[in-house]
Amino acid sequence: MGRIASMPATAIVRVASAVTAPARELLPMHAVDDWGRDPSLVRALSSLGHLRWQISLGGAERLPVRGGALLVTNCRRFSFSAIYTAMAVGESTGRPVRFVGRPDMVPVGPLLRRIGGLLARPDEVEGALRHHELVVMPTAATRHPRHAGAVDVALIAAALATGTPVFPAASMSSPLGRGARVEIAPAVRAKRKRRGPLGDIEMAEAVQHHLQKVLDGLGGVHTGLSAFDYLGEG
Amino acid sequence: MGGELGSLTSSLLEAEPWVGSLMGIDVDPPRRRLKRAEFHRIEPSDRDRIVEVVTTFDPHVLVHLAVWEPGARAGLAHARRFTQDATASFLGAAAECASLQRIVVRSGTEVYGRYRNAPTRPNEHSPLRPTSDYGRMLCSLEETSRAIGSRVGVPVSALRLASVIGPHVPSPLGRLLRQPAVPFSAVADSPFTVVEDIDAARAFVAAASRTIDQPVNVVAPGAITALQAIIHGRRVPLPLLGPEWTIARRISHLLGAPVPDHVVELMHRGRLADGGRTQELLGVSPQTSTAAAIDRLFTWPSVVRIAPIRAVA
Repeated sequence: MGRIASMPATAIVRVASAVTAPARELLPMHAVDDWGRDPSLVRALSSLGHLRWQISLGGAERLPVRGGALLVTNCRRFSFSAIYTAMAVGESTGRPVRFVGRPDMVPVGPLLRRIGGLLARPDEVEGALRHHELVVMPTAATRHPRHAGAVDVALIAAALATGTPVFPAASMSSPLGRGARVEIAPAVRAKRKRRGPLGDIEMAEAVQHHLQKVLDGLGGVHTGLSAFDYLGEG
Repeated sequence: MGGELGSLTSSLLEAEPWVGSLMGIDVDPPRRRLKRAEFHRIEPSDRDRIVEVVTTFDPHVLVHLAVWEPGARAGLAHARRFTQDATASFLGAAAECASLQRIVVRSGTEVYGRYRNAPTRPNEHSPLRPTSDYGRMLCSLEETSRAIGSRVGVPVSALRLASVIGPHVPSPLGRLLRQPAVPFSAVADSPFTVVEDIDAARAFVAAASRTIDQPVNVVAPGAITALQAIIHGRRVPLPLLGPEWTIARRISHLLGAPVPDHVVELMHRGRLADGGRTQELLGVSPQTSTAAAIDRLFTWPSVVRIAPIRAVA
């Protein structure tokens, strides 16, 4: 009698097993990591990313091979600099790279979490850095592509609390062209040791200052057409 | 001691050399053969008898596992009442014992809540803002145990478990995933983590043997999304957007798998936790990964049918 009662369920499971067989290949069991990042989805989307950006990366050898690091990148509005910086660093180092600034709202938030997005919360960043992850955080958005915006002091404090090095990562891209560049500068060191919150503020200011210096060194966009270069400047 | 986790923990405690005598109280008899443990079948609401039995035994360590997850063995109202009664009776009785040295209580990662902008992987220092009935129950249990601990000067360790999965563990999440067709959130498909019952039991044994006096997250390594679990369990995935969840929950309840709000929350918003300090604090860490635990979930037999005994004479 019990077997008869369970027949419909067994039949459904058999049909589902046959129907979902191709999906099992696409969605492996170990697809997402402890943070919900899906490396196979990242790989799939990075080919789309390459259609949009042709990124040249410099200074990746400065990053620790195994330890955590916080990379601070400048952000022109709607440039998605944190995403393409994370993509470029991830491909260069072969390590998962997370970026700060995903919204906690469907459907964008869960999608960005699957490609390594973190909430812009100090405890979230601190948790990732404690687990020796590479994390990219954007500065406050600016209109000018070569201006480094303000750096979030609370997120820098998270890096200092975990003893993680902070690297300025200057990024440049054009809203029209594919060319993009990311230059990672040496880790910023605090000029003096502070016991209180002044250390966090001074570190954030130092990172912004270093980032601005690297951006100034990069120069503007050079397409050969001054009108495009002007647009590229934002 | 009558539940699967309680029986498992008791059988592991029996094998520990530092455990002298062991006593358990529950409404159901133990599900395993226990050699040394003494068992008392008492209702959680029978406070006088619990106080009498516990104070007579005078334990050094109290491991409080009497938590009823809504939708597991009882509905929400009953689960809440049983848990409250058990918390008041057992912790209250233990506070009367002169020899008590430490308390270990069962809690869950539901205490962190999944509100908007909640941390993706909360650690033990993250704020407690439960957003489900079960989370609020566990939060209240932690508060009560801490209050009693500070009153009598006894350290309290709360083990915040991810959803416990095991071959005989009554888990609403496990039951839902084993349905022939399983609903999931089409717009989110968030990741979650679980812990296998044996890993949870080992964590309780480790917590009972040392003084921690703080909460510890106990979660299996790795994570999985609902869609991945459904596909690998060879079930039919039913993508839902939002309002249909009410109907899906009712249908699932009728089919024998109630879906309480903390499981709906898990399917929508995911539930991860940082278990990075488990090894440091307990000396053990879960061995079975989330993916392996979910994989095993689909291989456990649903009902073990035993053929009738034939008369031979």
